[in-house]
Amino acid sequence: MFNELDPILHSQLRLAVMSLLISVKEAEFTFLKEKTNATAGNLSVQINKLKEAGYIEVIKQFSNNYPQTICKVTKAGIDAFEIYVKALQTYMHPNNSGQ
Amino acid sequence: MQQENFSPQQSIDLIQSMILKTKNTVADSSVFFLLWGWVVFIACLLQYFLKNIVHYQYHYYAWLMIIIGIAGSVYLGSQQDKKTKVKTYIDESIDHLWMSIGITYLALGLIFAKIGYENAFTFYILLYGIGCFVTGRLIKFTPLVWGGIGAWLLAILSAYLDYDSNILITAVSILISYIIPGYLLRMKYKKITTN
Repeated sequence: MFNELDPILHSQLRLAVMSLLISVKEAEFTFLKEKTNATAGNLSVQINKLKEAGYIEVIKQFSNNYPQTICKVTKAGIDAFEIYVKALQTYMHPNNSGQ
Repeated sequence: MQQENFSPQQSIDLIQSMILKTKNTVADSSVFFLLWGWVVFIACLLQYFLKNIVHYQYHYYAWLMIIIGIAGSVYLGSQQDKKTKVKTYIDESIDHLWMSIGITYLALGLIFAKIGYENAFTFYILLYGIGCFVTGRLIKFTPLVWGGIGAWLLAILSAYLDYDSNILITAVSILISYIIPGYLLRMKYKKITTN
């Protein structure tokens, strides 16, 4: 039996952002843009979707007179990511899915 | 990077590649090692000079140089915060480690003011050992690990020597645990950023 994949995470850019944020404490928008090679507009839209789902926290502030957007994964985001990875495993190893 | 009908294998590959991209992301802390390394190294030599060559009564005034270290750390810390695009859990652990070591230096200063400074250097060198060894292990940078081990050995040696010798032992320990690894660390980051 295959577990359903979370549609919020099962999108390449959103999954990339979540994978980056899961391994760090917090990251700036420019860091995410640089690592995912996404356009600012597209990344902004996907970050907003993750925020609306409660998976990430977005902090907007000013640093040195420049606007700065900092993203960090939430507890709900970590839980959703773990469930997503477990669901992926049922696709990769279908024989173990019943465990 | 927008399609949603990608396979589970592609998902796994994407997760892996993104995690790998953050794996070696650690802020460059070499500037702090160099700042404190040179401040303490010069303060040691200055105190030794004032005490044993000029025979100046207030030779310990040499340690007022620490004010330069504190002011420099505050300034460089704020500059680094502005430049930092990502903060890892390792960065945070290192911050907490050095904050606790800084507080311990302060506490020791007050303790030695009460019980006397005769063996103070031994304990300061022990703290260099902890800071460098743990930082070196966290950022996987061997020269700092060896610097830490060297500092611990010099701390033991200092317990068997007099105060004047300990001033010079402290200079050597800061050279091997902060200054040399600091320059090597800076070279490593320069290499990473130019590649």
